[in-house]
Amino acid sequence: MSSHMTTIDTSSWPFDTVLVANRGEIAARILRTIKALGLKGAVVYHSADRKTPALAIADQAVEITGETPVAAYLDAAQILAAARQVGAGAIHPGYGFLSENADFCRAVTDAGIAFVGPTPEQIELMGDKVRARAFVEKAGFPVAPSAIEDDDPATFLERARALPLPLLIKPAAGGGGKGMRVVREADQLESEIERARSEGQRYFGDGRLYVEKFIENPRHIEVQVLGDAHGNVVHLFERECSVQRRFQKIVEETPSPALDEKLRNEICETAAGIARSAGYRNAGTVEFIFGESGGEAEFYFLETNTRLQVEHPVTEEITGKDLVAEQLRIAAGEKLGYEQQDITASGHAIEFRIYAEDAAAGFTPTTGPVLRWKVPTGEGIRMDDGIVEGGAVTAAFDPMLAKLVIRGADREEARARADAALRDLALLGCKTNTAFLRRLLNHPAFIAGDVHTGFLDANPDIAAEPELSEATLHKLLATAALTNRPMRDNADLTPDLHAAIGHWNN
Amino acid sequence: MQHGFKLLDAEHDIGLSRAREGYRLHLNQGDERIEIPVSLIQGEEGDWVLNVNGEVDHISLALDGDDVFIHLDGEVYQLTFEHALQRLAEMSAGAAADNVKATMPGSLVSVAVAEGDHVKTGQTLLVMESMKMETTIVSPRDGVVQSIQFTPGQTFDKDAVLITLEPEAEE
Amino acid sequence: MKRIVSSLNTQSEDFRANYAHNLKNAEKFREKQHAARFDRAQRDLDRLAKQDKMTVRERLKRLLDPGTPFLELSSLAAGEAYGGEAPGAGVVTGIGIVSGREVMINAGDGSVKGGAWYPLTVKKAVRALDIAIENRLPVVHLCDSAGGFLPLQAELFADKYYAGRIFRNQCMLSKMGIQQVSVVLGHCTAGGAYVPGLSDYNVIVRGTGAIFLAGPPLVKAATGEDVGVEELGGCDMHTTTSGTADYPAASEEEALAICRDIVAQFKTPDKTRIEWQTPEDPYYDPSELYGILPRDIKQQFDMREVIARLVDGSRFHEYQPKYGTSLVCGYAHLWGYKVGILANNGVLFNDSSLKGAHFIQLCNQNRTPIIFLQNITGFMVGKAYEERGITKDGAKMIMAMTGCEVPKFTVMCHGSFGAGNYGMSGRAFDSRFLFTWPQHEISVMGAEQAANTLAEVKVRQLQREGKELSKEDIEAIRQPVLAEFKRKSSAYWSTSEIWDDGILDPVDTRNALGISLSAALNTPIGDPRYGIFRL
Repeated sequence: MSSHMTTIDTSSWPFDTVLVANRGEIAARILRTIKALGLKGAVVYHSADRKTPALAIADQAVEITGETPVAAYLDAAQILAAARQVGAGAIHPGYGFLSENADFCRAVTDAGIAFVGPTPEQIELMGDKVRARAFVEKAGFPVAPSAIEDDDPATFLERARALPLPLLIKPAAGGGGKGMRVVREADQLESEIERARSEGQRYFGDGRLYVEKFIENPRHIEVQVLGDAHGNVVHLFERECSVQRRFQKIVEETPSPALDEKLRNEICETAAGIARSAGYRNAGTVEFIFGESGGEAEFYFLETNTRLQVEHPVTEEITGKDLVAEQLRIAAGEKLGYEQQDITASGHAIEFRIYAEDAAAGFTPTTGPVLRWKVPTGEGIRMDDGIVEGGAVTAAFDPMLAKLVIRGADREEARARADAALRDLALLGCKTNTAFLRRLLNHPAFIAGDVHTGFLDANPDIAAEPELSEATLHKLLATAALTNRPMRDNADLTPDLHAAIGHWNN
Repeated sequence: MQHGFKLLDAEHDIGLSRAREGYRLHLNQGDERIEIPVSLIQGEEGDWVLNVNGEVDHISLALDGDDVFIHLDGEVYQLTFEHALQRLAEMSAGAAADNVKATMPGSLVSVAVAEGDHVKTGQTLLVMESMKMETTIVSPRDGVVQSIQFTPGQTFDKDAVLITLEPEAEE
Repeated sequence: MKRIVSSLNTQSEDFRANYAHNLKNAEKFREKQHAARFDRAQRDLDRLAKQDKMTVRERLKRLLDPGTPFLELSSLAAGEAYGGEAPGAGVVTGIGIVSGREVMINAGDGSVKGGAWYPLTVKKAVRALDIAIENRLPVVHLCDSAGGFLPLQAELFADKYYAGRIFRNQCMLSKMGIQQVSVVLGHCTAGGAYVPGLSDYNVIVRGTGAIFLAGPPLVKAATGEDVGVEELGGCDMHTTTSGTADYPAASEEEALAICRDIVAQFKTPDKTRIEWQTPEDPYYDPSELYGILPRDIKQQFDMREVIARLVDGSRFHEYQPKYGTSLVCGYAHLWGYKVGILANNGVLFNDSSLKGAHFIQLCNQNRTPIIFLQNITGFMVGKAYEERGITKDGAKMIMAMTGCEVPKFTVMCHGSFGAGNYGMSGRAFDSRFLFTWPQHEISVMGAEQAANTLAEVKVRQLQREGKELSKEDIEAIRQPVLAEFKRKSSAYWSTSEIWDDGILDPVDTRNALGISLSAALNTPIGDPRYGIFRL
């Protein structure tokens, strides 16, 4: 990527300073590219994030406050003020927080600052699942058989009943799997709809729903696209994101082991087509649900994410494109400058999301100080992390701490490298999911590439805490005792003679 | 003796003694008290060389108060030291039942009781949220609410004391 | 220092026969000791369990540091007394490690008559506190005693070395700045109340511990006052009101943990420095001691073979190897500590007595502790030896030995008869520790010899009365006398009476001496100074 970046000339760009309105690993990752391009990087931060890598990289950092730390990062006014303060000509929102907030996008643009992302209208279109789906269907791309409440609320239940079971109920305004419900029995449809509605209301302040065909053991496959302000759109191949827990991705890879060349072309072209129909600008991701029905592969449009994805690095690793650099070029008004056939991919990349969580306890989040952060190094290892030793993992933010991205000539090599890297990676001070990830990547089904979004629920043994062997227990207790001051001091105080004799009774 | 370490919710009562070379770990195995030769010496770059019964491992570790974190063979473990006096005092006082603790880190959504309220076993005391999931915390016993440590919106770590009940009067 | 070259033939019939004989002796000793420690009537154990009390052995396990030695003293005290009613004399004493510090343990055994004090209980406790004084050892008292054993009060109350001496010794320890902690795990009544009363720190268990001069029934009888145990002298009263006890504990386990934390506050001793080098195991296997000791108490053996199985690397610097050869003298290291050794290889003659006196002075001069290995039938008798002054030569040895400033340690390896016992630092001569091997015999003269003498007196008396005695009649008189004499000269009698600090399995001797040496070095060594040597 670095060789590519040296060819980017930013001297004619309308901005020389970019403010990153985000935190953690993604803020650090974006700032690295900003700096590599010879631009100045600034970042906003809440005091809870004072000890994070982004602050060490940024040329300038502006503190923001809020009732909660998360609220600070959602406060558009403070962020705009910060942008003015540092003289930023562009704001990169990262992912999450304000990245898909059309009002923020509009406010940034109105302030004369470039928003590193799509237009507010594109965000509005894609952010509404129902509208997005209708748009895609109308443009002639495949969507799952469904009933949308908004089309005609009075007949919603009736239309839903007409669909083949099983069904999936989704909140129209939802995301991240929240508030989704599966219905397998016809007589439960009505009560589940009511439940989903109240959840949607609670989570998103919006109780509108839609119901669609539920695909058994589906895969989640998404396609990276790039569009410039001049109508050029390309795709950068697919990502397989089927390994999920609590409807959140934890392992992503490319290429997908589920696709042959023909299917790959088909799904990637579909994604590019959808983006093209929308005149899409920025890096984006078109998500599909992929399954098999009667021996035939099928895929349906799911949604489009109008931002940089968490899992974008795997695409970077096989295509050699720096997606943040491309985002900035697009935001600066540059043309893509290459065609679809110029984009090639080689090798295999897998990303592992390192979470502060206890896999065995239902993936509940964990907190603690970052006493030691051991990052693996070696061939094919890339670490995008957002924590530093001396900092802390708190309950204030999302528990994702870092991403381990592994590249190999093929999937097996990547997997073997990942196993070694995860073995070396360690956060001391707060429990993480690294041991769980190792168990996962050594599971026969994962080795075979045979996974689906319900894979972890179907194999709870992967998340379960493995039984501690006696030898391991002894090693742990020995270490604990030997590093414990009261115990060590007591033992050390024993006179040499008595220590040498040991346990003895005449 | 009777110092303990908590590991994965199990308590281990162990002892340590110095030998002619290195140390010995004393622990229970079934009904037997056994001893195992052990040593731990500083290795390269802040790592350690652990020898347990002749088996050598390269480990990393970090200490934080009573917690020790150990990276062994690709996994990180946390053990929490419990001083004998602390352990035995808690055992006899039964103080644990007076404190209602957070089962996971999160934030407080709402409080259903007020200080001074009489509560019954199983009665809802408060609702907390973690991972966008709401969890109801109920009273472990009948008693009187002595103090409530958090207000809605505040975040806390696992095992934080959320509510304290008045100690039970002795029979 | 060169290694002793053993001339022992471990394949010989004699060695094997000795080995089998002495191993059996050691096993018999271990069985007796095990019984004294653990065999109790079920009702006594049930009573402890009902009171929520641990046995004294369980208490020690929790008190002492794991992976450290405990040198128990006089484990078979009272073994031949009171019809066997008071195993170990109902008290456990010994040197152990608590919180890294060497301490003397004085632990009442509640499973023996409720921990009642027998005369030998008192003697054993007084001896333990004497050891604490001589070796400046802090003391942990585990109090669980019903008080003095009333039927035998005349033998334990009033005399100089009776129960009062326990409290006197506690005061002396305190005056010397040696700390004591009492853990009150049962009732401390009457005199027993002063054990915590005179300690620096007291821990008391709620519900089972109590301290009072008189218990509720006696109070009722004396003043008519009606009062319960807890009110009168329980944990909460003493820790909140009277201030007699300092730390309340909810359980025995907690009390012992608090005690450990208290001992952890004691200053660590500045040990007296003597010559020391890194310890080395003996080159020769200590279990071969079984094959060295003869089956016959009258038979001699080469004490160098014993030394070779006690000392570091079996190395020994022999002093005057060609002079006074019936007494082997020389230097060695034991658990690293430099020691002087005097060991009997026969009767003490004039030359061997003078050699002994000289060598003792050398050890005093160069601050080397002395170990006496006894196998002695006495000083040589007869006209020639008296003319050469055997009495005054023996006196020189006794004078030098008694005047020692360096700590002395005595092991009764085999026989100990007559004045030889004195010359080789017998019980009366203040060895810091004195241990006995199981087959050891001790008396003013040999048993056969004594029995013959006593039978002879009896026979003559009867003959004067005109009675004619057959060979069988004489045997009938002689045998019971011999048996009684043998019983009272056995190691088991000796240890029952606390003439020693306990019987040791010979293979344990090295560790026992090491622990004793370490303890002895808590006390500074004075400058050499003697009485008058008769020249």
